[in-house]
Amino acid sequence: MMEGYAIELTVNGRRVCAEVRADETLLEFLRTQLRIIDAKLGCGKGDCGTCTVLLDGRPVKSCIVLAASADGKDVKTLSGMQEEPLIKALQESFVTHGAVQCGFCTPGMILTAASYLREHENPSRDDIRRALSGNLCRCTGYKKIVDATEAVAKRNT
Amino acid sequence: METRQLEVAGTRTRRKDGVAKVTGRETFSSDVYLPGMMHAVVLRSPYPHAEVVDIDVSEAERMGAVCLTPFDVPDIVYNERTVSIPEKTYRDRTVLPKRVRHVGEAVAAVAHDTEELAMQAVSKIKVQYKELPYVLDAEEAMAERHGARLYDTVFLGEESIQVKNNIACERSIAVGDVEDGFRRADVTVESEFEAQRMYHAQMETKAAVCAPEPDGGITVWTTTQTIHNVRQLLGQIFNLPLHKVNVKRIALGGAFGSSIQMNSITPICVALALRAKRPVKLVTSREEDMYDHVKYPVKFWLKFGAQKDGRLVAAHMKALVDIGAHNIQAYPLLGCIAGWFASLYKFPNLLFEGKAVYTNKVPACAMQGYGNPQTNFAVESLMDMLAEELGIDPIQLRLMNYVGVGDEFWGQGPTVRSIIKSCGVEEMLSRGAAMIGWDRRVHPWQKSGDVVRGIGVARGFHTSGTGGPRPGEVIDYSSATIKVNEDGSVDLITPVMDQGGGTWEAAAKVVAEVLKVPLDMVGISPSDTRTTGYDVCTHATRGVYCGVGAVLHVAEQVRQKILEMAARILEQNPRDLSMERNEEIGQAVIYPTGLPDKFITLGEVAKTAQIKSWGTIAATDSYRQKNCPPCFVTHFVEVEVEKKTGRVRIVRAALLGDCGTPINPDMVKGQLVGGLCRGLAFALLEETAYDKSTGRLVCGGYLTDYKLPTACEMPAIDDIMVGFANTYEPTGPLGAKGIGEAALNSAASAIVNAIYNATGIRFKKLPVTPERMLEALREGVAR
Ligand code: FES
Ligand code: FES
Repeated sequence: MMEGYAIELTVNGRRVCAEVRADETLLEFLRTQLRIIDAKLGCGKGDCGTCTVLLDGRPVKSCIVLAASADGKDVKTLSGMQEEPLIKALQESFVTHGAVQCGFCTPGMILTAASYLREHENPSRDDIRRALSGNLCRCTGYKKIVDATEAVAKRNT
Repeated sequence: METRQLEVAGTRTRRKDGVAKVTGRETFSSDVYLPGMMHAVVLRSPYPHAEVVDIDVSEAERMGAVCLTPFDVPDIVYNERTVSIPEKTYRDRTVLPKRVRHVGEAVAAVAHDTEELAMQAVSKIKVQYKELPYVLDAEEAMAERHGARLYDTVFLGEESIQVKNNIACERSIAVGDVEDGFRRADVTVESEFEAQRMYHAQMETKAAVCAPEPDGGITVWTTTQTIHNVRQLLGQIFNLPLHKVNVKRIALGGAFGSSIQMNSITPICVALALRAKRPVKLVTSREEDMYDHVKYPVKFWLKFGAQKDGRLVAAHMKALVDIGAHNIQAYPLLGCIAGWFASLYKFPNLLFEGKAVYTNKVPACAMQGYGNPQTNFAVESLMDMLAEELGIDPIQLRLMNYVGVGDEFWGQGPTVRSIIKSCGVEEMLSRGAAMIGWDRRVHPWQKSGDVVRGIGVARGFHTSGTGGPRPGEVIDYSSATIKVNEDGSVDLITPVMDQGGGTWEAAAKVVAEVLKVPLDMVGISPSDTRTTGYDVCTHATRGVYCGVGAVLHVAEQVRQKILEMAARILEQNPRDLSMERNEEIGQAVIYPTGLPDKFITLGEVAKTAQIKSWGTIAATDSYRQKNCPPCFVTHFVEVEVEKKTGRVRIVRAALLGDCGTPINPDMVKGQLVGGLCRGLAFALLEETAYDKSTGRLVCGGYLTDYKLPTACEMPAIDDIMVGFANTYEPTGPLGAKGIGEAALNSAASAIVNAIYNATGIRFKKLPVTPERMLEALREGVAR
């Protein structure tokens, strides 16, 4: 059987030691070993962004990141960030703006929006659209997602 | 029927499932993990057409895998969609086939402790194929001489029928005398149109989890729009009594029709679980999902005849549908295409001739609109061509001929018809024209420069459900259970699936409205096929009109029971009681009419009934809607065409919807905007192209190569205007009709009409990609 790698990392604030396969993706590791289901598998090819998580604070598509490469790093998924004010504000805004339909894209969308807003003050709608363009949504047509993100950006600045 | 004063329905509310979704705690099928669960992987055909001569799974089995081959599956030929009555249902597939008919068709499957082990095991399976001639083009498939024949026989109901020249089914429908009609026409226009094979691209790929139960039964979680039809089919295929087949209702990560049926992987997963006697999970990859279903591609030939004054007198449509490798619902589809064609404008004489043809491609199934966006593209394009020929304004021509109040509407083909009772067509055309600035619109030949803009209009509709005064070929009813708890809160138990559009929310709001309880006192209970009555499917834009219609029907009964119990307590006649929502107390209150101070709360009524052993206040019932009112839409779109790059951008849009009472106004808006996005994809971007030499998809399973729109492709966001027609549907729950599919149906047509207005080029084949635009500009089709 395939050789395993021992890794040690922080996931949602918890120290985790685990063994992963050489070809195991971070997404697979999070979902099947840790049962963290808020990172979703929409394509497994880096196309859709439903698997977005933060790796050392930066958003990555965890389906194309090897779990072994997260050794020693800090991983955060949406469920580990429920107390962060910016996340809370976005969650609230997504609900009140009707930016959620089926909800499959939503966790990734919120994480991407949060990472972007954290580093950009006063973005235009176009900036927001570009920032979110790596996250696909088939239901909403994006308008309300951008509305919801913009509303939080305005309150932030 | 009364027009009620609405307090909850029709207002903006925070959706109940919103919190679970924004916190990532909503559970989808792929999020179900069970103790001792195995993972399944499917082996799929690399060939477009081949006989499976032999399969050797011995090595995979030696690795500890549980294997399933076409030689192990039940000998049952089924149709994955069971919405039509059995005698109109074609059946041509088994759980795994001994003859594969498209690249990507499942041939075998394995389950193992982990996905990784399952992958390794599946790679050890040796299949011996005998390749057969294949055909990828529908017209070629019908040719006498073509060597590729997908089926010799299939079943229609219980009868075995021969398949000739790969023709899956045909339908011809006439009204009046079309030849005579054309003879009386002053002007005729005709053209061919072609709508492509589009992929649903719902964000959640198809998935199933099956747990075998100690009593020999199974519990199933799967991506579906219909838990009850999945249950019935699984019972039939695996010869299990239905009380031992439990299908759980679970959140669905979008569907758009892709799960209108029992997905092909569901029985594969069940078969593996029954063999392994352990729970099995099967989640398809994006590539597998793309090889599972697409939208029906249609080639049309269409002709209109009109008098000089613009009155339509005759129409003739021929439709050729390339259904791919299985006939999932081509027969009702042809009927529906005829209905969508017959119901947009009044054609006193009409002829429809439709053919559905098998090819060695991914099977086509319903996708938002079920043939309506395709038909609409042909009809609304030709309407504009006719308007130009007659020198009549396109809006004027539409106003002269639309099907409206008092006219007959075909909600689901020729056998499901009802009379229209509410219609916002005129209002939407005039309001939309003002919103977009229709009077600024000038002819294409008055435009010049490298960047040109144009404005287009198209109108559309969809049915709300598939009920008619008499039951037709399509089954349609729904069920609900409502019970009042001892503190005045309410449990709603519904079998209806929500694709994300907010059907559950609408159901909860209707309960709150009727029982006068605050919305947050209504809980939507988890449910499954064991605890609910039948609901046919969340399709045909019937969630609100039919599903919530049944909820309303049951809520009225519960209301009556509440009044009876309260009457016993208050020693009054139930007729002399009033019910009211008291936000301060956070409950419904009941009091003798005229004496509001003498109230008791709903909680007190329910608690008293429990303490005195009168019983629980609850009701369960089924309900069938006897109409199929059209929800109308109108799309006005302004596009910008960059002649150097061939790129088309939507710069502004006015979306108008007539859904009767919008029970979730926000979500109706969301549906309209989402519909525009998918309409844009249909008009400009998406197509599943095939490599002719291999029968494989060119996009290779990549969503980006397939060109799914991102946030950047949508119009600069402020410029989407949305409006509702002010209508009330007398037969709908609280005046509501549907909206879901209608939201898409005329979007692409309006875009194509706007492109014509910008460039003078009439595109008859979708999508209008930059390459096709550049080619057309080069050819100088422009005036
Ligand atoms: S699942 Fe990772 S980008 Fe789609
Ligand atoms: S809400 Fe369904 S994919 Fe975005």
